[in-house]
Amino acid sequence: MEIVVNMQGITKEFPGVIANDKVDFDLRQGEIHALLGENGAGKSTLMSVLFGLFHPDEGSISIRGEEVRINSPRDATKLGIGMVHQHFKLVHNFTVAQNIILGEEDTKNGLLTMEKSIDKIRKLSELYKLKVDPYAKIEDISVGQQQRVEILKMLYREADILILDEPTAVLTPQEIDELIKILKSLAQEGKSIILITHKLKEIKMAADRCTVLRLGKKIGTVNVKKTTNEELAEMMVGREISFTIDKKKAEAGEVVLKVERLCVHSDRSKRDVVKEMGFEVRKGEILCIAGIEGNGQTELVEALTGLRPISGGSVVLNGKDITHASIRERSLAGMAHVPEDRQRHGLVLDYPLEYNLILQQYFAPPFQKKGFLQFAPIRSYAEKLIDAFDIRTGKGAIALARNMSGGNQQKAIIAREMSRHTDLLIAVQPTRGLDVGAIEYIHDLLVSQRDEGKAVLLISLDLYEVMSLSDRIVVIYEGENVGEFDPASVTERELGLYMSGSKRREAS
Amino acid sequence: MNEFASFMYYILPIILMNMAPLALVALGGLYTEKSGVINIALEGIMVMGAFTSVYAAILFTGWFAGMSIQIVVLIGLLIGALLGTIFSLTHAFASIHMKSNQIISATALNLFAVAFAVFTARTIYGHRRLPFTETTMIREVPFLSSVPIIGPVFFTNAYLSTYIIVLIFAASMVILYKTKLGLRLRSCGEHPQAAESLGVNVYKIRYIGVLASGALAGMGGAAYAFTFQRQFGGEVFGFGFLALAVMISGQWRPMRILLVALFFSFMRLLATQSDSFPGLNQLNLPSQLYRMLPYVATLVVLAFTSKKSQAPRAAGEPYDSGKR
Amino acid sequence: MKDLWTKTLERIGRSPTRIEATSSVMAIVCGLLFGLALMLIVNPLEAFPGFFTVITGPFQEGLRSLGNMFYFGVPIILTGLSVAFAFKTGLFNIGATGQLTMGALTAVYIGVNWGFLGPFHWVVAVLGAMLAGALWGAIPGLLKAFRNVHEVVTSIMLNYVAMYFNTMIIMNFLYDFQASRTAHPLPSARLPVLFLQNIFPGSRINIGIFIAVFFVAITHILLKKTTFGYELKATGFSRDASRYAGMNEKRNIVLAMVIAGAISGVAGAMMYLIPGRHLPYETILITEGFTGIAIALLGLSAPIGVMLAGLFYGALHQGGTYLQLYDFRPEIIDIIIAVIIYFSALSLFLQKIVKTFIDKRTKASMGLSEEVETR
Repeated sequence: MEIVVNMQGITKEFPGVIANDKVDFDLRQGEIHALLGENGAGKSTLMSVLFGLFHPDEGSISIRGEEVRINSPRDATKLGIGMVHQHFKLVHNFTVAQNIILGEEDTKNGLLTMEKSIDKIRKLSELYKLKVDPYAKIEDISVGQQQRVEILKMLYREADILILDEPTAVLTPQEIDELIKILKSLAQEGKSIILITHKLKEIKMAADRCTVLRLGKKIGTVNVKKTTNEELAEMMVGREISFTIDKKKAEAGEVVLKVERLCVHSDRSKRDVVKEMGFEVRKGEILCIAGIEGNGQTELVEALTGLRPISGGSVVLNGKDITHASIRERSLAGMAHVPEDRQRHGLVLDYPLEYNLILQQYFAPPFQKKGFLQFAPIRSYAEKLIDAFDIRTGKGAIALARNMSGGNQQKAIIAREMSRHTDLLIAVQPTRGLDVGAIEYIHDLLVSQRDEGKAVLLISLDLYEVMSLSDRIVVIYEGENVGEFDPASVTERELGLYMSGSKRREAS
Repeated sequence: MNEFASFMYYILPIILMNMAPLALVALGGLYTEKSGVINIALEGIMVMGAFTSVYAAILFTGWFAGMSIQIVVLIGLLIGALLGTIFSLTHAFASIHMKSNQIISATALNLFAVAFAVFTARTIYGHRRLPFTETTMIREVPFLSSVPIIGPVFFTNAYLSTYIIVLIFAASMVILYKTKLGLRLRSCGEHPQAAESLGVNVYKIRYIGVLASGALAGMGGAAYAFTFQRQFGGEVFGFGFLALAVMISGQWRPMRILLVALFFSFMRLLATQSDSFPGLNQLNLPSQLYRMLPYVATLVVLAFTSKKSQAPRAAGEPYDSGKR
Repeated sequence: MKDLWTKTLERIGRSPTRIEATSSVMAIVCGLLFGLALMLIVNPLEAFPGFFTVITGPFQEGLRSLGNMFYFGVPIILTGLSVAFAFKTGLFNIGATGQLTMGALTAVYIGVNWGFLGPFHWVVAVLGAMLAGALWGAIPGLLKAFRNVHEVVTSIMLNYVAMYFNTMIIMNFLYDFQASRTAHPLPSARLPVLFLQNIFPGSRINIGIFIAVFFVAITHILLKKTTFGYELKATGFSRDASRYAGMNEKRNIVLAMVIAGAISGVAGAMMYLIPGRHLPYETILITEGFTGIAIALLGLSAPIGVMLAGLFYGALHQGGTYLQLYDFRPEIIDIIIAVIIYFSALSLFLQKIVKTFIDKRTKASMGLSEEVETR
């Protein structure tokens, strides 16, 4: 088996952190090699070095036996290396064809020859069974199709070495199966594939070998078929991980949030993105709304919290109709919100931590008096929360939110929202992008809130999180409630079918 | 009917004269914004272009007494474009290399240009107005001005700059939408990370965008000086900002920009030619009211077109190669 | 000596504010040097004496020139405050000139026509100016909040509208045909001088300096200590987060522009409710509005910084008045200011230079490592 990529002793440092510490990595021809590690383990950095986005401080890279220097993505492309990033790099208002040829355009007399390029694209698309419409605009096609465009981008540039960074984050179980089929057929055609992921199940399904990184160091490379999930997880995390959450059975009380026939209209897509959605959340239970990204969850939460207007239906909180209430009114009525985008919505990054911790309460005593901020109560409240939730910063309460790590930023938001005396907590993807330790911690917090009698509405894309945390599950597809489930009596595969619209339960 | 015709034949060339520089400068703004850099220094670049082109014209007519005025204009336009390019280099450097706040550096350029123009004029001539008094108007283009309808409108009382501007517009349509450079330019303004990952040099492209806008705005300033003002006095009275408004109202598309420029020049026309409009001179409104009109009209247009902005997504954000 | 230098560098390096202030100073130095270079090109013999005069302006004639420094600084401090206040809310108030013009026009109008007010005349004139400026600031604010129109373009348009409106009103209602210029406000409308003439004899200083300091204090308290300031800054830092927190961002944007406009309006009153100065009737933009931008940037958008920067401008301007003696055009000052703004735009870059310079020097002598970020 020829070795197509050989990375030796790669070291890359950023201010304050060593992202890659003398890492060795090799890729054989025709194999699918997974790169496993937690957030911050260094997988993306290592591959960015391979793709020419970063220069290593130390180490060497050989492609097909020859030592090379990869100074830019152009160099990498010339060597036959292609990369599909986690956040697609597609220009939203360009067509599929324009996105594929960008940087590699065919021209005649200075003008673009689109027909010739589109012809090339069609041939590739047939050969590798990646169906796309070259004339469609990126903003009009689905996420799965966008991913195919990204893969075609690589194949158009005759890449043999394909790197995919967390490709399954946005796909349904069915789409994941399709992708794995495509990858396997690409490998059979002689392409060598590197899969960056932290999803053990997919590694089992697709990969031949797996290299595990932890905290910048390579822990080992194993043959996937001969290694168990538990062994992989232990290598990844360094300790034994329990895959189940310890949870008492829920004791649900009265209804806190009642949503009936909710409709939300989108001007952009000119249709209802939430259609007649209805569900209830009770005291002392965690209700999870599961679905593929882009099926209306974001708009649903925005409508519930007041960030987006409601075009039909009603939302009642603790018996009070808040359908048209302002954001402030809802917050005061007993709604807490841990938002999806923590840096954009959840924090004022340029404010110090203590200002952020009173973001929802600065207008109330004791934090203000006659319009003037009361600095002493603000400081002591902040210190209380920092202590209770173990929020770590360089300078305590006065540290700027911007300088805090992602995990601590999220802890701050959660600390703030959970410490308010509200009846409902809405948490949207609360553990996204966090490492396993932080995820564990936040899961425990959510369960404890539930045990204290709060109603928790959880929106999550991670089926594992959905299954283990929730007491009840509602599946959202294209803005509609397509089924309610008890996690104890439904499988992930079945949920996947509902999430992709293949099945639906009649509304009761 | 004849009165109407002669009125139109009088008015339309004036509208064209007004429209051309405005559209050109707006097109310049388009180039930088499409590549991802906000450039509100169009005003200042126009001033530099106007100043240097008129000064060059004075020098050339002094050195070569017999030179045809149109050649002088041509030289002036080119020099204006050149100076505009050089001047916009400072904005490019600050915004692209230094990743500074693009509005602040542009404001600095605007202030500098006016101060510089007045200072230099005063130092050389003792007062702020440059003494250039010749008219650059082409009374009649041989042959073409006799063509019925088109002749009197487009080829009588016309200006060389207008024709050049039309050519530039046509060329831009091709460049922006049918060439490699145009595709890459637009990608840098929408999603520079995507472009960079495909090997496009975002910095280089943005420099090209800003310098192109400098050339166009500089030439626009020269065109302005040769058609409107002649005795250029260091100010273009918000023309550069008006062009910006044209660009925004034109939703960053060349054809729309032409239409909006037409509309705005019509507004300006009401201000300066109100007495030739049958009916208006009876209202006896103060001239300042008319002069306000284009600006107020801009406000109104913007109030209704800004909701669904089609601005290039990455415009205004300094691009950092290391950011992911 | 070297030890003291290292210690000073270290103290600066520890605080981001101090690094920012240093980069402001650097921008000023660069601007001044550019001016010097220009003066050398134009008139090499007179360049150095001329330059020296410019930078020692306020002390050339003792207390008289010092008083004039305050006098020149007042309108700029106010316009600087106006721009800075808007900056804090994330808005660029490039319309300070228009607001100033409307304020000045209103003040002069009241000054000329409402003599019946007696001792309150000047107060009403100033208040009227404030109101006019507030109104003129409200327009871009409303358009931005409710129609998402970029405040830069609207403000600029309004600058020109104000300019023409000003000429129109003066020519039709306030023109003094005999003297061929704008009519003069009545003496009862003039800003009182109080005891300031005794401290700074012969200068043009007046109560304006107290009014300017008053507004500096108010904006400082507002921004730092009130919940309103908390909301404004949050909106400026992150519009999304402030919406999430339930803040009424539309209201805040409008209010911020109203306040900024009001302060610029007062600046207009300060400029023309004095003897010997006439509101220009020509259609030109009053440059003090734009200079305010420079001052706001130099002062790092903080009210106290703006005050210092404004006084610096006053000093520079005072120095500039002597330039005529050396056969230089006073526009040099404007060029210097423009270059200073340009370099403030590069402030991020300058700050990096300052920081690495300091780090190198302090690390070398102390051999310690810098603080590591806690994860």
